[in-house]
Formats: sequence, C-alpha cells, structure tokens
Amino acid sequence: MQILKKTQLKSWKKAQEIGAEKVLELLEKKGLVGRGGAAFPTAKKWRIAKSQPVEERYVVCNADEGEPGTFKDKLIIKKNAETMVEGIIIASWTIGAKQAFIYLRGEYEYLRKKLERQIKEVLKKAKTDIKIDVVRGAGAYVCGEETAILQSIQGFRGQSMYKPPYPPVEGLWGKPTVVNNVETLTCASQAILFDDWDTNLRLFSISGCVQKPGVYELPLGIKMSEIIKIAKPKNKLKAMSFGCFGGIMPINENMPVTNETICQNQCHHGAYSVILIDETYNVVDICLSIAKFYTYESCGKCTPCREGTIRMLNLLKQVRDGRASKKDLETLNEFAHHVEETALCGLGQTSGEHIITALIHFRKDFEEYTKEKKAKDKLKNKK
Amino acid sequence: MKITIDGKEHEVDEKKRILQICEDIGIEVPTLCYHKDLFPESRCRICLVQKDGKLVTSCSTYPTEGCSIITKNEKVKKARERNLELMQPSAPVCGPEDDFEICKIYKEVGLPQTRFENIKDYPQDLGASVIRDDNLCINCGRCVQTCGEIQNVYAIDFMTRAHSEHVSPYNNKNLSEVACIKCGQCIMNCPVGAIRESPHIEEVEKALADPKKHVVAQTAPSIRAALGELFDMEPGTLVTGKMVTSLRKCGFDKVFDVDLGADLTIMEEASEFLHRVKTGGTLPMITTCCPGWILMMEHFHHDLLPNMSTCKSPHEMLGMLIKTYYSEKSGIPAKDIVVVSIMPCTAKKYESQRPELDSAVDYVLTTRELGRLIKRKKIDFVKLSDDEFDTPLGISTGAGAVFGASGGVMEAALRTAYEFATGKGVEKLEFDQIRGTKGIKDGKIIINGKEIRFAVASGGANIKKLLAKKDQYHFIEMMACPGGCIGGGGQPIYTDPEVLQKRAMAIYQEDAGKPLRKSHENPIIK
Repeated sequence: MQILKKTQLKSWKKAQEIGAEKVLELLEKKGLVGRGGAAFPTAKKWRIAKSQPVEERYVVCNADEGEPGTFKDKLIIKKNAETMVEGIIIASWTIGAKQAFIYLRGEYEYLRKKLERQIKEVLKKAKTDIKIDVVRGAGAYVCGEETAILQSIQGFRGQSMYKPPYPPVEGLWGKPTVVNNVETLTCASQAILFDDWDTNLRLFSISGCVQKPGVYELPLGIKMSEIIKIAKPKNKLKAMSFGCFGGIMPINENMPVTNETICQNQCHHGAYSVILIDETYNVVDICLSIAKFYTYESCGKCTPCREGTIRMLNLLKQVRDGRASKKDLETLNEFAHHVEETALCGLGQTSGEHIITALIHFRKDFEEYTKEKKAKDKLKNKK
Repeated sequence: MKITIDGKEHEVDEKKRILQICEDIGIEVPTLCYHKDLFPESRCRICLVQKDGKLVTSCSTYPTEGCSIITKNEKVKKARERNLELMQPSAPVCGPEDDFEICKIYKEVGLPQTRFENIKDYPQDLGASVIRDDNLCINCGRCVQTCGEIQNVYAIDFMTRAHSEHVSPYNNKNLSEVACIKCGQCIMNCPVGAIRESPHIEEVEKALADPKKHVVAQTAPSIRAALGELFDMEPGTLVTGKMVTSLRKCGFDKVFDVDLGADLTIMEEASEFLHRVKTGGTLPMITTCCPGWILMMEHFHHDLLPNMSTCKSPHEMLGMLIKTYYSEKSGIPAKDIVVVSIMPCTAKKYESQRPELDSAVDYVLTTRELGRLIKRKKIDFVKLSDDEFDTPLGISTGAGAVFGASGGVMEAALRTAYEFATGKGVEKLEFDQIRGTKGIKDGKIIINGKEIRFAVASGGANIKKLLAKKDQYHFIEMMACPGGCIGGGGQPIYTDPEVLQKRAMAIYQEDAGKPLRKSHENPIIK
C-alpha cells in the first residue's frame, strides 16, 4: 500500500532544502486534494493560511473519523503515524505555524498513548520547535466538521459555525488555521518525497453485507464490479452507499468509481467508504438506522437539523410500521429536501440524502411495508 | 459594491451582512435569533433569502460582488414556513394578550398548521424572580448569548444535543440554585416568552380586592418613561400623570413616588461618600441601589464588600417610610398596609424576598406586569387624564428622576455632595460626561480643591471592565442592566437600541422640568 510507505523524516529534510514555496508547487503538481470528502486542493488551502497578514497560525490534523463505514484513518494512525506526524510538521513549517493539534476521535482513545509517544520521538528527531498536542474528542460526530473541531479545541460546545470566514482565514482563536485530514497530511509527506506517488490511489473502506470488509487501496475509476469481487458479497447485492451521507443507490456493476460518477447519481462521494447492501434487507431499515444516527448526532444548533432529523426518523418509523400514507411519504421527501437546503453545516445538509435517494431508487421498499401491514390487517379482520 | 436586491440594483457596504443591508434600505426580513447587540449565530434559519439561487441565512452571510438577492418568492417563503412549522409544535400560539416577537413573525410568514406533534416535556424552572419554561423555547440562543456576551454572568447555557438540546443552568439545576444575578436581561431578548418574570400580579389583585387592606403603590423613576410603549405610544413618551391615574383606577389607595426614595438614597450616599473622603474610609465607594449589581458583587466580587455604600435601594427606603412614618401619620396600622413597588426590574422581586433585609415591600410588579394589570382592568390608558402623586410621600426632585438612567445616581449624588462640601451649588447641574448610552463613562470634579474622579458602568460586561481599573476612581456607580433602569429586565421589550436613548431623554426632560432639582431641597427630607 502506498499510504503505508514511511518517509522516515526524509520528506521533512527535502522540504527544508527546497523551501516552502517549492513544497506548495510540488503538492500542486502532484495534485493532492483533501481526502476528508470535500476534495479541496491542499496546496491552495495552505497558501490561503500562509498569506494572512498575522503572526500566529495553527495546523489541525482531523483524526475525528466518525463517518459510519469509514475506518481508513484508524489504519494510518495504527500503522504509519510517523509519516502523518511528519506531514503535520511539514504543513506547520510551510504555513508558519508553531503549534499543531491532532484532534483524536473519542473512540480512538486506545490509540492515544502510542501516538503521543510517536509524536515525541518524531519531533525529537526532526529537531523542530513546532509543538503538537493531541486533543481528544468526546464522541460527537459533528466534531469531524472543521468549524466544530475548532470550537471544540477552543473549549466551546462542539457545534458548527457558518462559513465564511473559512478556517484558513479565521480559525482557532481568530487566527488562520489549516484543518487537514489524517490521510491528507500523510499523503502530503509522501507526495513530497516519492517521485512515483500517485494521487489517484485512494483508500476505500468497504463494509456491509460482504465477507471481506476492510480498507483497500484502489485507483480512482475502478469499476464497481471489481470492488464487489474484492469484497465477496454473501448474497445478491441490491444497493450501495458511499458513506451514509452519500445516499443510497442501486448497485451498478459497470459504474467506474470517480467523484463525478458518484455525484451524478445525486450522491456525495465522501471519503470513499463503500457500504454494500444485499437483497435480504429492506432499504427502509437501512434509512432508519442512518436516520437514527443523524438524529442522535445532530448538534442541535440550527432548527432544520435539530427538529428535522427527529421528524424524519419518526416518519421513517411510521413507514416501517406500515402506518405511513402517501401524504406522509411526501412530507418525508419535502423535509428531507428542506433540511438539506437550509441546515447550517455539512451534517445537516446531507442528513436527508439517504431518504431522498432511497425514495427515488427504492420507492417499492417503502410501499412494501404498507402493503404488508394491509395484508396482515385483512387477515386479522377475516379471523 | 454593487448588488441586486429583489430586482433593484443597490450600492452597498461590503462589510455589512445581507440582513443589515436589507434593513437599511427598508426591506424587512423576518428573524428570531438575530439581535443587533449579539453575535449572529444563525440558529433559527428564519431569515433565509435566496442569494444567486441558493438559500442562505441573511443574518450571517456577506454579499459578494454582483450577487443577486431575492428576499421574497415562493421558495424563500416555503423554506421559512417549514422552519416555523418545525418549531411550532412547542412554540407559543399567540393569543390576543401576547406580543412576543414570534407573533410578528407569524403575521409576516403565516402561522403554519404543523404536521408534527409536540415531543418536549421539561419541568418548569420557577426561580425567585425569573422563571423559565423550556417547553416554549425555540433554541434561538439569545438568552444564552445575552447572559454571556452582554452580562458576563454565564448562568445559562445549552445542555445536551440534537433534539433534546435545551437551555438550562448548569446540569439542569434551577436558576435559583446557580450564580444568576436575576437581572432579567434574558427576558428582554426572548422572542417567545419562554423566560418571564415570576408573576406577583395575582397576589396584588387579591390584595386590591381585599377591603381590609390599604394598598399603596410606589413607582420607580424609569417606569413613566417606558410604560406608554405597552399601549403603542411612541417610545420616550413621558406618562407620569396617566400612570398615576391608571394606578388609582386599578384600585390602589395611595400612589407614592420612589423618586422620593431616590432622594433619600442620595442624601445618605452623598453624606457617606464625603465622610469616607474626609476620614480616609474605603474608596472607591460603589453605589448599592441596583439589586442586580448587589447579586453580582456577592457572586463574583465579594472582596468589594467594604467598598459598597451602606444604603438600601430607594424602594426599600420608601417602603420602610410608608410602613412607619406614613402609617403613624395616617393612623393605619402597618400590618394592614400592602406596599407594592412598580419596578423596571426583576432583581427587585428577589431583593424584596431576601430574609436578611426584612423588607417592607410586599410585592414587586414589573412595568410589563403593570401594563397587563391595566389591560385586565380594561382601562383605556392613552385617553386617561393626568393626575398628581399623593402627599406626603409623592413629592420629589429632578435628582430622584434621573436615577432611572445610567449615570443618574452619580449625577444626583454629585449635585448634593458638592453643595454639602462647599456650601455652594454646582455651576452646571447637568453632568454631560456621564449622560448618554455608552457602557462606561467617567469624569472628574473639583470639590474644595480636591479632584474627585467618578465613573459609571451599566451592563455586566462593562462592570467587569470598569472593575479592572477601579482604583483610579473615588466614586463608582454600577447598574447591572445596559443603560441603567430604563433598560431593566422588567421593562417593555424592545428590539431597537434607539428606544433606550429615547427613554433616557424622557427622564432628563422630567428632571429639567422640575422646580426642585437637588435631593436635599426636597421638603419632605427637610
């Protein structure tokens, strides 16, 4: 795996030799983009922070990987934390930050001790005065969102802020802050050192109704059929989802997996987590568990997300119980769209996606429960 | 920067957010969580507008060059309606008596027929002077911001998350169990009436109906400058005469003026201050007429105890006079007299219940409660004729009147202290440097060759700032509410900051119109 190749501080040495400007150019040339899901060009982000006319700057490494079906960052922290730390050092040095934070997911607490030891070692070897602190999240999914991370690090409630101002302009304590994902920073270190580094190799977290779930490094543009072959499904597949905020769509074996093809189907590409669902499941149940997740993880700040997610969940429960009328399905669709359009942050803006896509592609599943209930009621009446 | 709003081109300031721009050019955008004095958090999502086809919250979004903004169309309307619908299951349905901000929004956006059921079930928080009902709350967060940003008290914050997020003191305790200063500023900023003063109106009505009780009202200086607003009169209209008439019509046996209590306070405070200066007592001396500030001192700055003046607040002084001097003079036994203070303040409700104070005041009504009482008695306030306060405790000076505005106590005290010390009147009665709506004001005066530096602060955050440099002053006036009593937590709710200024102007106008303008000239005190 490319991502597990260690740079052993050679990348840091090279960066110091060629200078900050050349580092940025190199990253631009290699085409490194954010791996958290938004695919923002990394060099551009660093440049914005670097160009702000202030003294203090910060780097935050986002290790709050909370997206259901995503577990690639855990692999990196477990097996290649040194390279990640090196990436943080390079990022801090490039933009002129003296302090960096690693925001570690609350559930990854067991990784912390080893990580802190590794940070200490790398910093000592790198001979730099940059400080790196590990901040532990308390388990809120929304704190993986960049503005919420910043709020949490500053000691406030982990709630999203609206943008602009974007963090590279105004972040921690009002100072320019670069927030990059674990994978991005690790890649940055590798991209600088290895000439054959390939930006198209991405980490796919594959899970669902399969026999071989796990993290795989695959090239962008790979066909779904190949992914399915690797994953070894148990039964005939019915649906696929690219992270739960990516929506649910019917399985399409011929589809090459690229940002564009996923987005065409009304979905967000996210961080290439592939969840495969087979025919034994009703999509409504899948929606229900995703909706439960959103309802629990909403930070509660804005009205549409706070009130909307629970209403969507309740409507989905009605569907499952076979009590939903056509009008209820309309309401469900209406509010799924409404929450997406008017919520404050990424969490709210994608919290209706699974419902919208499921209603487009799997309407039958929704009607199935109602039919089942009717049939049961009929039987009861006959008795 | 040039942008298009509703099809018309406008030249706008790029440093202003879209909501402000719309307001400046006269386009009203409904909002619940936005408040001019607070940092826009954009929680409620009612102020949505379309910017280049995308829905954005106008309170938090800046315009971009050449962008097109639509404030009214079907999409915007529907989106606002749906957000209201999401809040609706628990938010108040406005009846004819209610005039919360959300009622105005219902009128603009339309009261939605909600398709959802109410899932909130929180216990009520019945504090000593501020009560909260989380079930009505729409989580706009203005109370939390007010308590933190404006008052620096941080008594309430959001608890838990998602749909069970709600406002509460730490760990779901009651307001009476935490360091709350009872200023009631959260009430002033609540758009749905989820926070209110703890009502004394029923008890007062009961006392009024009781023929055996002799019910006496005493009104604070700042009521007369604000009461009219509750009856749709212009802000800043002085309604002293109408107020007295309406109180009589409500059934109060006597109506006295707390301005007299204020005059008494000044006599005490001015003498004490001069005494401290002469004998080298603890300086700076800090005023004690604001019970909100007293609570703040007790909770956060108790080391200042020696600096506090020893005076009671004006209504407590007058209350005591009523139960002793007046009772003796009129022959009505003190136990039959019910003293009702009409105050701009929620902290005074708590003050009157403090066991250590042995208060003479039985009930405290806020300005809003008085308005409710007048409405209940079906009195047409605007058409009332003017009337005078009762003797003997209704005569007051202009110095008592200015108590209502921030800086007023200091001004009144200096008028008297100067004359006590020098034997001459001050050259200019108006101390312009401590007038106006600025949060912190200061000035100096030469008394008998000694320079006396004085300062005034209103609002919790300003108090904190002033305390950091307190040592350079001799005399400090503190008021917990921004703008002083005219902006008190019991006053009619306003959204426009100019209202405060107008109320202050009314009070200064009352002072200027009085024949007696120094507390020690009050014939009662003489």
